[in-house]
Amino acid sequence: MAKVITLKIAGTEFKTGEGKTILELARASKIFIPTLCNFKGLSNVGACRLCMVEVRGVPRLLPACATQVAEGMDVTVDSPRLAKYRKMILELLFAERNHVCAACVSNGHCELQALAQRLGVDHTRYPYRFPKYAFDASHAKFNYDANRCILCTRCMRACDEVEGARTWNVMGRGINSVMVTDLHQAWGRSPTCTSCSKCVHVCPTGALSEKGSAVGEMVPRENVIPYLTSMRYSGR
Amino acid sequence: MIAAEAKPLSQEIVDEIIARHPDKTGDVLSVLEEIQDRHPLKYLPEATYDDVAQKMGVSRSQVLSVITFYSFFNLKPQGRHTVTVCRGTACHTRGSKPLLDGLKAKAGFHEDDEEGGSATSFTTPDFGLTIRTVACFGQCALAPVAAIDHEIYGHVSDIKLRKLVAAIDGGKGS
Amino acid sequence: MRIHDLDGLHDIRRTGMMKLLPGKPRIGVGMGTCGMGNGAREVLQALGQALKDQNVDAQVTPVGCFGFCAAEPLVNIHIPGFPLVVLGRVTPDDAAAIVSSIARNRPPLEKAICKIEEWDHLTGHVMYGRGLAEVPEWNEIPFFKGQKKIVLRNCGLINPEDIEEYVAVGGYHAFYQATQKPNANEIIEEVKKSKLRGRGGAGYPTGVKWDLLRKAQSDQKYIICNADEGDPGAYMNRNEIESDPHMLIEGMLIGAFAMGATEGIVYLRAEYPLAVQRLKHAVAEAREFGLIGEHIFGTTFSFDIKLIEGAGAFVCGEETAMIESLEGRAGRPRPRPPFPAQKGLWGRPTNINNVETWCNIPVIIARGGSWFAEIGTTNSSGTKVFSLVGKINNTGLVELPLGTPLKNVIYDIGQGSPGGKHVKAVQSGGPSGGCIPAANFDVAIDYESLAQIGAIMGSGGMVVMDEENCMVDVARYFIEFTHSESCGKCVPCRAGLDQALRILKKITAGGAEESDIADLEELGQMIKEMSLCGLGQTAPNPVLTTLRYFRREYEEHLRAHRCRAGVCEKLYLSPCENSCPLHMRIPQFLELTRRGQLAEAAELIWLDNPLPGSTGRICQHPCESQCRRNTVDASVNMREVHRFISDQVFDGPLLAEIKARLKAHRMAPTGKKIAIVGAGPSGLAAAFYLTLLGHDVTIFEAREEAGGMLLYSLPQYRLPKKMLRQELDVIESLGVKFRFNQKLGAGVSLDVLEAENDAVFLATGTWKAMTAGITGEESPSVWHAIHFLEQVAREEPTNIGKKVVVIGGGNAAVDSARTALRLGCEVTIAYRRERHDMPAIPEEVIDAEAEGVKLMFLVSPQRVVTDKDSRVSGIELMRTKLGDFDLDGRRRPVSTGEMTIVPCDNIILAIGERPDAEPLRRCGIHVRENDTAAADWVTYETNRPRVFAGGDLVTGASNVSSTMATGKDAARAIDGILTGQNRFAELLQTFEVPQVVPEEPEGGARNVSRELTPEQRRTSFEEAMLGLTQAKAEAECSRCLRCDVHELATVKE
Repeated sequence: MAKVITLKIAGTEFKTGEGKTILELARASKIFIPTLCNFKGLSNVGACRLCMVEVRGVPRLLPACATQVAEGMDVTVDSPRLAKYRKMILELLFAERNHVCAACVSNGHCELQALAQRLGVDHTRYPYRFPKYAFDASHAKFNYDANRCILCTRCMRACDEVEGARTWNVMGRGINSVMVTDLHQAWGRSPTCTSCSKCVHVCPTGALSEKGSAVGEMVPRENVIPYLTSMRYSGR
Repeated sequence: MIAAEAKPLSQEIVDEIIARHPDKTGDVLSVLEEIQDRHPLKYLPEATYDDVAQKMGVSRSQVLSVITFYSFFNLKPQGRHTVTVCRGTACHTRGSKPLLDGLKAKAGFHEDDEEGGSATSFTTPDFGLTIRTVACFGQCALAPVAAIDHEIYGHVSDIKLRKLVAAIDGGKGS
Repeated sequence: MRIHDLDGLHDIRRTGMMKLLPGKPRIGVGMGTCGMGNGAREVLQALGQALKDQNVDAQVTPVGCFGFCAAEPLVNIHIPGFPLVVLGRVTPDDAAAIVSSIARNRPPLEKAICKIEEWDHLTGHVMYGRGLAEVPEWNEIPFFKGQKKIVLRNCGLINPEDIEEYVAVGGYHAFYQATQKPNANEIIEEVKKSKLRGRGGAGYPTGVKWDLLRKAQSDQKYIICNADEGDPGAYMNRNEIESDPHMLIEGMLIGAFAMGATEGIVYLRAEYPLAVQRLKHAVAEAREFGLIGEHIFGTTFSFDIKLIEGAGAFVCGEETAMIESLEGRAGRPRPRPPFPAQKGLWGRPTNINNVETWCNIPVIIARGGSWFAEIGTTNSSGTKVFSLVGKINNTGLVELPLGTPLKNVIYDIGQGSPGGKHVKAVQSGGPSGGCIPAANFDVAIDYESLAQIGAIMGSGGMVVMDEENCMVDVARYFIEFTHSESCGKCVPCRAGLDQALRILKKITAGGAEESDIADLEELGQMIKEMSLCGLGQTAPNPVLTTLRYFRREYEEHLRAHRCRAGVCEKLYLSPCENSCPLHMRIPQFLELTRRGQLAEAAELIWLDNPLPGSTGRICQHPCESQCRRNTVDASVNMREVHRFISDQVFDGPLLAEIKARLKAHRMAPTGKKIAIVGAGPSGLAAAFYLTLLGHDVTIFEAREEAGGMLLYSLPQYRLPKKMLRQELDVIESLGVKFRFNQKLGAGVSLDVLEAENDAVFLATGTWKAMTAGITGEESPSVWHAIHFLEQVAREEPTNIGKKVVVIGGGNAAVDSARTALRLGCEVTIAYRRERHDMPAIPEEVIDAEAEGVKLMFLVSPQRVVTDKDSRVSGIELMRTKLGDFDLDGRRRPVSTGEMTIVPCDNIILAIGERPDAEPLRRCGIHVRENDTAAADWVTYETNRPRVFAGGDLVTGASNVSSTMATGKDAARAIDGILTGQNRFAELLQTFEVPQVVPEEPEGGARNVSRELTPEQRRTSFEEAMLGLTQAKAEAECSRCLRCDVHELATVKE
């Protein structure tokens, strides 16, 4: 018998079962909590920190993606403090790599861009770092531009958890972290890549794109993942 | 001579090291540490990565991720001798930064520390000497501390360090 | 050798005790890494050799570290019948003498620092012997006083590589006891009762954590020892494992038994090779003795320990990152929940505790949780080991009951900063912690109190910083560290720290704007609240605490482009230049003088300092304490060279040329009029620069002549009036106008000055003497130093009498004393603190003494004693002794109750001066509580627009160069505001000097000024110091190490 939990999110009262995260419940209830790393069907990493929320009685901010709903919780999903911090995080992401929307394949379909618009980021107070990562066009079907990557690791998780190829991983640490394939050779020469395209379709920005897309033409098909995971699970 | 040393370890040695670690995935770090330690130039040659990945049953990308994450792993050959300057807090407050800068300048490294600050190790082109830093030796009472080939020297001054380095290899070092 | 039961344990205990007390002399050599780094290995060898040579039968054993790192190598010696004696700083050369003393059955005492008559190992007890009254007991010497050794109970006393010695002091008995409990839950209850909290930093209650794992249901549970001691500046875990590895193993065994874990892992830093080796050895021993393995003590309990070496990633100290690392991946933390107790290593319930937490466990089981809970404070029980390092005399590992005030650690145990420097702050808790300023040193060291002031206990690293550490650089250093150790997983830490570091680099390079501080603070707060793991959540602490407590230092970097500590190398030329309030380009005038370019040298010193003859004689010379030549022999005598140059000008044909050269610097007239009130050093400096900048400057002076304190307060024998008048003449020759007998508020009003000028600079000084508040001080025979000195300077008769007591320890006190002496008095200076605390220039004190002035210290004036005719007949002084340390790091004088009367007929009070604030208040200028004028510390603007204030009026009584510096800086600001341009830098012409550093120190020993003999000086107001000869001046210049040369001219092959 599943226990029924009563809690409030953004002022609205919900009754729900145990074992869900705040983010899952909010999503199901069409309450907006921003996130860039969380992706339905992939494991949770809690990396982007955009989904941090306030829970009454808890002095610290909590990640909605990892925090499970609990009886009597009163969750604030937006506040001046959260709005300020979220804007800062988005600005940091823009400044970290070379995000120029006007020249990007994902212009108009980019989650980073959409969030920035929604949260009112119109400039960044931080100077762009402009790292110079090589553009990898060696793959027959896809392009990889690390300069547009936000290190959400969705590609890595899709590749590992769904496809099982384990082609992607993070090289280096800290600000020098960068997504690479296998032993950091050109993607096109990867011995493990199955060219399944899952990484490309979960990528929130223009870092991974299908070949042949011009500016603004790369439209990801996000539904590819939940579909495949449910298929895989039901097949077991 | 250098060229010969820069080769990967022999297959037997790598196999032997891996065989002693039945726990496979959990022992990736230990195996890599040992391979590096057994290499004459104390580094992990690129050719080893694939081997370790296959035999330890982990993905190539994971091996790469591990060796680029931990500062202990060297991706490039190291010098025959290593001078390690401790950059711990006690050493910093007692002037280890000028010590390191002086040492680097003396050995001919002129990178601007402001921008290229991510490099933590510098090896002379003849592989005679590597200068590196450590986050903390835990020898804080002797600050500032430097180590020459694992021998720790405390209360090091600019002049003392210069003399120690000059005395490496009986004065034949870099 | 397998131990099956208590009897087996007792057998080992007996054999072990035979090793600890072998019935013959035993020599223990401290063989921790720090001991070995100081030569312990050689000492051990030498002792062995000496025993052989002298044919003495004694046992030599390596032991762990006793904690007093500053006195390494430590050797302890026990001769049956005597206490154990601890020797410090033993060298191989001492070996023969030590052994021959042992041969005579006498403990060698030459290097003894303390003794131990008996030792409570808490799980056991050792009686060494009584006697040796001349040697203090260990906890009577400052370093150990107040310490309580629980974790370090065996360190330095037993051989860490011999399990039998550990068993001898009661080791593994607590584990045996634990295995005999009918219910393992009792162990957890005991740990809960002890209120032990995690020693890794976060302070989570250990018992509660254990309970979680015990209750977790799983076929396999893990316990992990976090020995990834990555905090730079902390090394207690290294020492605990190196000195007593079995206590860790025993703690883990008890924990595993209580929680139902069968596998333990120690995650140990690879940077600690000796700890790795000793722990491996200990695990092997424990296995051999059947304490690790299957069916321990014949029970069903089985347990094994595996040692994993970390590979250099600070973040792996975070428990979920450590688990990732143990699973063979990069150590990137996982989000929690799930917590390790639910889902940890390989998905199984896991408990992780710090080394020191585990080490406390055997004692808690042996002595009981309530025994432990009584130590420390209610919420922070037990002790904590701290590594006391950095700028502190007694470095070492200090174990203290929690709740001990920080100042006891710094001043009592640590004995303050080397060289008597002022301790500025303590960084507690490493990169995750905060900087605690000296003003907060009365904080109690416990989890909550430290958190309240923005710091944390952390792993227990305490890095002491003094005035030569720049707090902005410290913040930058820590952010550089956390930035390079950030795993890169979450955005706030990865990208936030990168931007924070960028800003800090900008500040330390002098290129930041004021908005950068706000950005930095905002970033810090965000990173702290939004990051995924402890690394990011605590990384901003050093920035946030330094911003909170040392904001002024940030502002100095930003607004004045100065780093007063002399660390941020882009902000200063050389240590001497940086310490000079006037920022004189000292190495350059030294080099010009050395090369015989005297005119250039003179031009340079005048441009940097318009009163070179005065400052060359009487400056406090802070440059000398900063001089790097001190590390070779003695500082360069910079002040005397400075004086030499100015004397060459005044006494020779150069004067006209220098005047002409200076005049050539004068910029085109701006048409701006500036009034300066006060013709003291500050006003004169401002006038000099403002005139050169092309402004029309008039100085209004209350007295009848210019010079201020230099003229009316400095005695002739230090500063001849003739020389001063020559300096003033140079300033006047540039076009500065003087109006005398114009007192602010009397002859001249601020409103008028303001109306008639474009700017007004107030520098009226501190001419109001402070009173002592003692009865009888209103007597006409009780003088104030400035009044006395002025009367003498005006050559008016003083009637000072025959016997004079001067109260005070500053320059005014010494000047008054030497002046009174020259007037034929017998003089005594009475000062309330000790000699080294006297603010006067040390050389002046020495000279005064040589001339016959008597000095009394630690006395405090109580009352003026008068005879029946109401004439002063003496002064009653209270004798004091040094008490507790105050927050300045000085011992407070406290009453001894003993009074003494010093007979005298006149008393001079030299206890300080204040500005006369009344005229300012009447003009509407804001005045601070201490009567100084409130002015911005960079621009010297007051609350009235275009009215500036500087000198002692703003800073309070200071010294000649500091007060001139305010005039110089104010001139820069006034010109900037009046012209809207930054023209000041153009004034400071650069002089070409060769940029070559001498290979080896040159010039030999320090050269000093010629001087009259004390006999000649005693009766004459003739100048006492005669300056350097030409040859000596040039030799002195070549002693400079040229710290101003920044680009090392290295040969590049």
